[in-house]
Amino acid sequence: MAGLGAFVRRLFSADDAGISVPAMDGVFKPDNRLEEAERLLLLPAIDNLVSSPAGLLCSSGKTLFQLDSGGASVSTVAIAEFAAPISFVASALDGSLAVGIEGEGVRIGQPGASKRIDLPGDMASCLTAGVFAADGSLYVCVGSRKHPARDWKRDLIEGGSSGMVLAIDPANGSHRELAAGLAFPNGAVMLGNGHLAVSESWRHRVVVIDPKSPHKVAILEDLPAYPSRLSPASGGGFWMALFAPRRQLFELVLREDDYRREMMATIDPAEWIGPELAGSARPDQPLSQGSVRQMGVLKPWAPSRSYGLVARCYDSGLPRESWHSRADGGMHGITSVCEHDGRVYAASRGSGTLLRLPGATSGGSPA
Amino acid sequence: MATSEALLRLRYRLLPDRLFGELLTKSWIDNVIPALALVVTILVMIWIVPGYLTVANLTDLARQVSEFGLIALALTIVILSGGIDLSVGSMFALCVLAALVSMNVLGLPVGVALVATLATGLACGLLNGVLIGYLRLRAFITTLVTLVIYRALYDIIFPRLASAIVGSMPVSPTWDLIGFGSFYGLPVSFVIFAIIAVGVHIVLSRLRPGWRLRAVGGARRSAYNAGINVKLTVCLAYVASGLLTAIAAFLFSARLGSTGADTGIGLEISVLTAVVLGGVSLGGGRGSVGNAVIGSILVLILTSGLIRLSMPGSVNQLILGLVLIAAVLFDAKWVKNRGKLLSKVYVSPTYLKLPNLTPPTGTDVLAVNDRLGAAELIGLGAVEGPEDVVLDRDDNLYTGTRHGTIVRFLAPDYARSEVFARIGGHPLGLAFAPNGDLLTCVGGMGVYRVSPDGKVAKVTDETNRSLLSVIDDSRLRLPDDLDIAPDGRIFFSEATIRYEMSEWAVDALEGRGNGRLICHDPRTGSTRTMLRGLIFPNGVTICRDGQSLLFAETWACRISRYWFDGPDKGKHEIFRDNLPGYPDNLNRGSDGTYWVALLGTRTKTFDLAMRKPGFRRRMAKRIAADEWLFPNINRGCVLRVSETGEIVDALWDEAGENHPSITSTCEHKGWLYLGGVSNNRIGRVRIAGADPQWTAHDDYWGKR
Repeated sequence: MAGLGAFVRRLFSADDAGISVPAMDGVFKPDNRLEEAERLLLLPAIDNLVSSPAGLLCSSGKTLFQLDSGGASVSTVAIAEFAAPISFVASALDGSLAVGIEGEGVRIGQPGASKRIDLPGDMASCLTAGVFAADGSLYVCVGSRKHPARDWKRDLIEGGSSGMVLAIDPANGSHRELAAGLAFPNGAVMLGNGHLAVSESWRHRVVVIDPKSPHKVAILEDLPAYPSRLSPASGGGFWMALFAPRRQLFELVLREDDYRREMMATIDPAEWIGPELAGSARPDQPLSQGSVRQMGVLKPWAPSRSYGLVARCYDSGLPRESWHSRADGGMHGITSVCEHDGRVYAASRGSGTLLRLPGATSGGSPA
Repeated sequence: MATSEALLRLRYRLLPDRLFGELLTKSWIDNVIPALALVVTILVMIWIVPGYLTVANLTDLARQVSEFGLIALALTIVILSGGIDLSVGSMFALCVLAALVSMNVLGLPVGVALVATLATGLACGLLNGVLIGYLRLRAFITTLVTLVIYRALYDIIFPRLASAIVGSMPVSPTWDLIGFGSFYGLPVSFVIFAIIAVGVHIVLSRLRPGWRLRAVGGARRSAYNAGINVKLTVCLAYVASGLLTAIAAFLFSARLGSTGADTGIGLEISVLTAVVLGGVSLGGGRGSVGNAVIGSILVLILTSGLIRLSMPGSVNQLILGLVLIAAVLFDAKWVKNRGKLLSKVYVSPTYLKLPNLTPPTGTDVLAVNDRLGAAELIGLGAVEGPEDVVLDRDDNLYTGTRHGTIVRFLAPDYARSEVFARIGGHPLGLAFAPNGDLLTCVGGMGVYRVSPDGKVAKVTDETNRSLLSVIDDSRLRLPDDLDIAPDGRIFFSEATIRYEMSEWAVDALEGRGNGRLICHDPRTGSTRTMLRGLIFPNGVTICRDGQSLLFAETWACRISRYWFDGPDKGKHEIFRDNLPGYPDNLNRGSDGTYWVALLGTRTKTFDLAMRKPGFRRRMAKRIAADEWLFPNINRGCVLRVSETGEIVDALWDEAGENHPSITSTCEHKGWLYLGGVSNNRIGRVRIAGADPQWTAHDDYWGKR
């Protein structure tokens, strides 16, 4: 009888409601422009691109590189080396840099002459992004207070929302909390009106924080992918890198507590169901039915676990244009986009490639 | 943890969830709810009306049911054709008039009176039929108008003949027998009704006119496109309605011997209530005689019960009207949601725990290598879906394609290919008989035989039906692979009895033993199921002892052995379990080994999901099929297994470009040929150290 009761309840319960994720449509209509973008450089673990007065910088593992793209080929010069992997880089107008180092915290100053900012231990291990405001203060995203940056997947599957945004005064090294309870803030950019836009990966949205008041407002919600770093675009608005696609299966697993817990307890994170920065040919990887190779072809619309996506948004948060590398492509896991000298560069962390976007023209009027 | 897993396993073993879904697929499920309502109504009546179960009462009910039921049948036929007949009440009155005038006024014999009554009904029905069927008028408005016209005719004629009808009584034993007689305790009129009802049921459900009627009512345009004469069918439905109404009128006249001004008034509403309450769908095409009978009894019990409870007539009508609305509402919702409900409950995953798998280390035999990476490609782009590959004595290569053909690649270089046979379904397993015939399991069709000149003949497409299976499992749905025993018997697997070929992946989600092993004996022509409850049985190969066979159980990641002959006959044991992937076809190899094609590898996430049936069920309901979690079938490999079940070798395609998933292998003269059901190429690689003269044909049937 209990079985029958459960059966009837199951028929009418909301537990069975369909799960959907926003379709790649409208401005996010898929194309292949990221896949066709100029591939400038192979650099394993390429991550954060930043435009500084000294040139275009990028982080890769423990090393900070300067990229020289003036000539026909792109050359790299290592300008700094750290003890632990770099988790973000930000540049101020005067050329001083802020570098997030996993487990250590933030270092601010000119390369080679930087000083360390003291942060509480749980805030220092997952600094995902940073940006300098016009007045010289530094805003830093703490993705999670529970897991280091490289364990981002565990934070997602646990439903983490321990992220916060800190305001740091580089002059005296003091810090204050600007926002807390964020679900993996993963990118920050200053908007034209002096407000701070922050991407919240696990809630698939961008929120705007007024540094002078505690309110935060979502300006862009229901993204079809997990947003990552943001960077200013010339002519207004901002660039947004989206590092992995949202899939119905991931959303289902996030709601299935029993399955989720046992998966985390018994299975290696590399084999979990969830977003990835790059496709894998390993036999132990989970697969969705639609991603089965048919007649020797992986369909571009297959529900892959990784994807390449870059979007440009207006200051209002409204998306304006997008660049894609689809399931059958390889330029996946875009973690950073940066405009430098009128050209737009993107870092595909999944494939370790530096890309220059075609057709991405600077300028344009904001909405 | 262990206790909860044990409970979970027990719950899925004891509670057959899948039965809910399987019951819903049955067409008689439409009758179940009205039948239950009938039983409940009868029980309530017995409870609240004292002396309900008396013989007199039941006889009276039976006589009423005969007349009322015939009209319900008339209306059912019209509704099945996609129309409606509101004129049945007036038609009934006119027919009663015709019968009584013939008998009482004109004093005609009973036979002539019957013909006159039927002719009246025929004329009335034909008028409706021509107007609606041929002149394409709306059924509702047309029969509403004829309702008024027939009633007007009755009102004009009846007063002039009323005294004549009442004035004389016919002297006819037959007439009295029909009206009052009984046959072994049953009223004669009820016997007549029962015979007609059975006849109509046979016509509607078993004969061509009934099928055409349903087709026209269900989808008029499709019926037209299928070549059915729609106009004639619709017209005949109204004619049949008129005739059945006339018979009802005849029985009524014989019982009462008189008529009144109110005969047949309001009849259409109560009959309509009965028919809809019984489960005949107003949309057309769905309904049966059983529905009409159940509905009629229900309405008669309801009205007579209400009269016995001394309800006023208007309240009676009110209740009937409310019942009609409720029935129509329920019908609309049921027709709309039955499919949804079915899709919600049909997929019913069960608990399946696979043994723990230790990942291979660097030097392990199962470690990924690239020995298939250099495979020579055959027929790239020329074949789609080569599930199985096989070679004949002259080294030609055969494979099935999803276009429903068997393609032959010609030796020695396999550059040229030709269509060897056209079958119509996707050929899966292939095997050569000693006389050179090619036998194949065709998905969705059955087992077929192709002679060396390309002629196709059916071997079998059904087996014995299981006694306790709700769904009809006699028809083969997904025969997968076959092999031939030394005495010529054909053993083949059927992967699942619950899903069609296109939905095989859903069976992976269930993980239940839905498949079986079947044997066809060409000497007797009989096909019998040998083993049931197998978990997606796939490849089949006869062992070298000639008395047993190996078969793969795909979702269980194991190979089992079954003895069909000899001292161990009937024995069934596991040959090798805990495979690293999902075994597909099995084939003999040289040196006494067997080749096992793994169509995909196990993943820990899917293994975990197999232990969580609730998770899989919710997955099936909540997200799109393309997003469902699956084993990694983009990464397959080939295993070589010894006679004792030990894995001695593994061959992988590291990049996964050419052979991501491998569903079959065939060793032939030192080469290994590879097929894949979702691939568009066949591969072949040299097997290091293999006997260059070895062929499966010689291994089975000896050298020629």
